[in-house]
Amino acid sequence: MIHRLATIRSSHEGFERLAQLWSDAASLYSGRLELDLSECDFFDANMAAPLGAVLALVADKFNRIEIVRVRPAIESVLRRNGFLTNYGYKPEEDVGRTTLPFARFQLDDERLFADYLKRQLEGKGFPKLTEGVGKVSQQSIFEVFQNSVTHSDSRLGIFVCGQFYPLEQRLIFTIADAGVGIRSKVRAYLKSEMSSGDAICWALKGGNTTRTGSRPGGVGLKFLHDFVERNGGKMQIVSGDGFYEYGKGCGTLAHAELPGATVNLQVNTADTQSYRLDSTITAENIF
Amino acid sequence: MPETASQEIIVRAFDIIGSPLGVSSDDGQKVHDKIAPLLREGRKVSLSFDRIETIISAFLNAAIGQLYGELPEEKIRELFNVRDMAQEDLALLKRVVDNAKLYFANRKEFDQAWKEETGSENEK
Repeated sequence: MIHRLATIRSSHEGFERLAQLWSDAASLYSGRLELDLSECDFFDANMAAPLGAVLALVADKFNRIEIVRVRPAIESVLRRNGFLTNYGYKPEEDVGRTTLPFARFQLDDERLFADYLKRQLEGKGFPKLTEGVGKVSQQSIFEVFQNSVTHSDSRLGIFVCGQFYPLEQRLIFTIADAGVGIRSKVRAYLKSEMSSGDAICWALKGGNTTRTGSRPGGVGLKFLHDFVERNGGKMQIVSGDGFYEYGKGCGTLAHAELPGATVNLQVNTADTQSYRLDSTITAENIF
Repeated sequence: MPETASQEIIVRAFDIIGSPLGVSSDDGQKVHDKIAPLLREGRKVSLSFDRIETIISAFLNAAIGQLYGELPEEKIRELFNVRDMAQEDLALLKRVVDNAKLYFANRKEFDQAWKEETGSENEK
C-alpha cells in the first residue's frame, strides 16, 4: 500500500496524521508500505519518535517499509537525526550539533538511555545539568522515560528523538512507545469506561496512579506538569484518540487513534529562575 | 570498633546503585532493600545522596515511598533521615513522602472520589 504523509508538526494536526497512518496500515500483513513524503513540506524532527513507533508496529507484522520521495530539506533533517538511516538512507553529519538523535530503547535499557541523554545534552549550549532548568529538564525527561518503562508494556520498545533550537533557546524532546496506551491501563485499574482524553487527565492528577503494588506512584506526571507551568514550556500527551496539551486541556483526535503513548516536552532553556521551590523544607521535617 | 544498635548507619545510595543517576525504579528498589531490613531491626539509618546528581520520583517511590506501606510513620520519623541532598531534590522527596502516606492510607477513597468526579461509574 502507499500512504502519503503530509506535513508533520508537533501539533494536533501532526498527531492526527500519524494516527491516520496507523489506521491505514494497521491491517497490512506481510506486505509493503510505501510511505510517500512528497506532500510533506515540513517535519518537526522530534516527531520522528512517534512515527518510529507507528512504523515499528507496521514492521512487526512482517511488512517491508520504504520511505520515498522525501523533499531534500526534510531528508536532510531526518538523516541528521538518524531516523532515515533505519530505512536505507545514508547518515548526514549533524554539523550544528543540535539534534538529539532518533533512538530506540528496550524497556530494560534505562542505563543506556541515561548515557544517551547525558551525551546528547552536554556541550550543545544546553544549561548545566546539575542546577536550575538544566537539572529539572533532565529530571523531567527521565520521569517520562520511566513512566513508559513502568506503564507502557511496549514490547517493541521506547522511541526517542529531540531537537535543540539554540537561537530560540528551546529544547523539544519526544518519547513515544508502541504499548497498550494510557486508556487501557486506567480502564483496567478503575474498572470503568473512560475516554482516552479523560484517562490522560486522570493520570496527570497528583496522586493518581495505576500502580497497585508496594511502590507508590502518581508523582512523576504531576511533577512534569508543574515544571512546564513554571518554566513556560509546553507539553503534549497523546494516546489512543486522546490529545492533551498543557494550557488547553484534554481533547480528542477526530479521525483515528495513535497506538501507545507519546509525550512531547518543550523546555524554555533561557529560564534562569531557581527551582529550589521551598526553602522551608529540610531533611528534618520531611518524614 | 564494634558498632552499637543505637549507632546511626550511613547508607550511601551511590555505592548501592553505582551511578550518579537515581532514575529508575529498579535502582530505587536496590536502595530500599538495603535500608528496610535495618529499619525493621530498629536501627537508625541515614541515607546519603552524596554524588547523586539526578533523582526522579520513581526512584524515590521505590527507595523510600514504599517504606510507608511497611512501617509505621512514627517509626520512620524516629529512625530514618536523609543527608547530602540538594534543596530541589528535598522538595521532590517531600512530594513523594506526602504522596506515599496518602497512597497507603486512602487508595480506595482516592479512586472512588475520581469516579464520582467524572461520573464514570460503569463497571465493566
